[in-house]
Amino acid sequence: MNTPLLETRRLGVRFGGLQALEAIDLQINSGEIFGLLGPNGAGKTTLFNLISGVTPASDGTVLWRGGSISGLDASSISRLGIARTFQNLRLFASMNCRDNVLVGLHRQARIPWPAALLGTGLARRRQHELQARAQELLELFEIGHLAEQNAAGLSYGDRRRLEMARALANEPALLLLDEPAAGMNPCEKDQLRELIRRIRDQCNLTILIIEHHVPLMLGLCDRLAVLNFGRRIALGSPEAVRQNPAVIEAYLGGAS
Amino acid sequence: MDATLLDASLLTQMLIGALLGLSVYLPLRCGQLSLATPGFYAIGGTLAALLSTRMSGLGGSDPTYPIGSVLLEMALAALLCGTLAAGIGKLVLRLRGVYLAIATIALVEILRVSTLNQEALGGAVGIFGIPQPFDEPAGYAVFTLLLLVVVCWLCERLERNRLGRAMAAIRDDELAAACQGINTERTKLVAFVLSAVVAGLVGVISAHFLNSWNARLGNFDASITTLAFVVFGGSRTWAGPVLGGLVLTALPEVLRPIGDLRLIVFGLVILIGPLLLPQGLISPSLLMWVKARLPRSNRTMQTHGGQL
Repeated sequence: MNTPLLETRRLGVRFGGLQALEAIDLQINSGEIFGLLGPNGAGKTTLFNLISGVTPASDGTVLWRGGSISGLDASSISRLGIARTFQNLRLFASMNCRDNVLVGLHRQARIPWPAALLGTGLARRRQHELQARAQELLELFEIGHLAEQNAAGLSYGDRRRLEMARALANEPALLLLDEPAAGMNPCEKDQLRELIRRIRDQCNLTILIIEHHVPLMLGLCDRLAVLNFGRRIALGSPEAVRQNPAVIEAYLGGAS
Repeated sequence: MDATLLDASLLTQMLIGALLGLSVYLPLRCGQLSLATPGFYAIGGTLAALLSTRMSGLGGSDPTYPIGSVLLEMALAALLCGTLAAGIGKLVLRLRGVYLAIATIALVEILRVSTLNQEALGGAVGIFGIPQPFDEPAGYAVFTLLLLVVVCWLCERLERNRLGRAMAAIRDDELAAACQGINTERTKLVAFVLSAVVAGLVGVISAHFLNSWNARLGNFDASITTLAFVVFGGSRTWAGPVLGGLVLTALPEVLRPIGDLRLIVFGLVILIGPLLLPQGLISPSLLMWVKARLPRSNRTMQTHGGQL
């Protein structure tokens, strides 16, 4: 049996008296687009925070390629190859779009410091390569023409695209997308679905995605998990999840 | 304007102000409000004062103090301040915002009070008769200018490469920066150490320039003054603190003809500056305005103009 790329075992977190997540078991396989559904406050973003090292877990472990990564900080986890976007958008507001992506390329931007200091030919060539790569990523998300624009001045949808471009610049193996379609119109949501598929194929990615837009999720994801009140209430193919009575009760709402 | 208003002594002081501004600016560039600059400035000054007055070997046979010995003092000050900053920074950089500012003020005060009570470090009287490497103030001005040019060049390089981008990213959003794989702790520490080294180097020059040194030269007032350089000049790029340091050091002297009124005018400038230009003289919008008029940026904007 293959080791899953990412696995959570009995993962949980308490904030004071609130059990935000409890005993979450998930296995994300390589190449999968895995969706997380659930009503507001179900703990989806909290789960992202635990995986990406932003919040320390209270119980359980996170395994990456079979090894525990519990207790690592956000920057170490990013360097392992797990990139993320943020539900509430955390761009570098003082920088233009290109520089935002260049920061995302931080890990690949390393050159010997004497060369960086003196601005040698090597440093300039490397800088050009990085700029070209950043431009490529911006083009991929169709915001190439905004490269010089300040990130704070972008429209909501473009900011989401920029954040995805920045996360992809990390060259991750696993990409965590937190509500990437928020603020996009239905047509843009359709384009986004195709785009996510395309980057998965092009970049050999595994994608874990949180999204409220159910049709998008059912059409996009290979498998889905549904959270409610910090617990996993369903897991399986989109079809199975859609017909799961617990899901209908908790999330899709209403009796059928 | 009278020629004496802008003599070499004042120019040296202005250049020292610019360098101290840069020392405050470096941690601020990654969002760390550190007021430790006068502390490391005092360490550099005290070290230079002690070495040049107590170690007769450094003096040489000439009546003027050898420049090589000044450079040696600077190397030692850089090493001492850098090492201390690395140790202290590991502890205090866990604090954020105003708490870091308070901790660094405490550091400056601890250094001041210990120096004041330590006879060997000059005590309350201070150290006098620090030998002069230059016969004329102009020598100090040139020497300080050289150091300023080197530090500005370093900052310029820094801002354009990976480390500088990482620092700006931490300033904008530390958590998001960490999620890009940036080692935020180490980046902040590097900025803090660089800041301390610059302050220590300036301290060495100051000690010789002022001819005497005492504990009062690195105190809380100096923390606030150097911070004002950055607030007034702007903290977006190195040119801000340089301009702030030059202008705010010169202002009280330039205004001397109007007598005591100058203190009121100085106070008003400090008050009104941030009100009218909250991001300093060299503000982001000014930088964008300049950038848009550079030939290279113009081209890229035109090529994209068609797509827009």
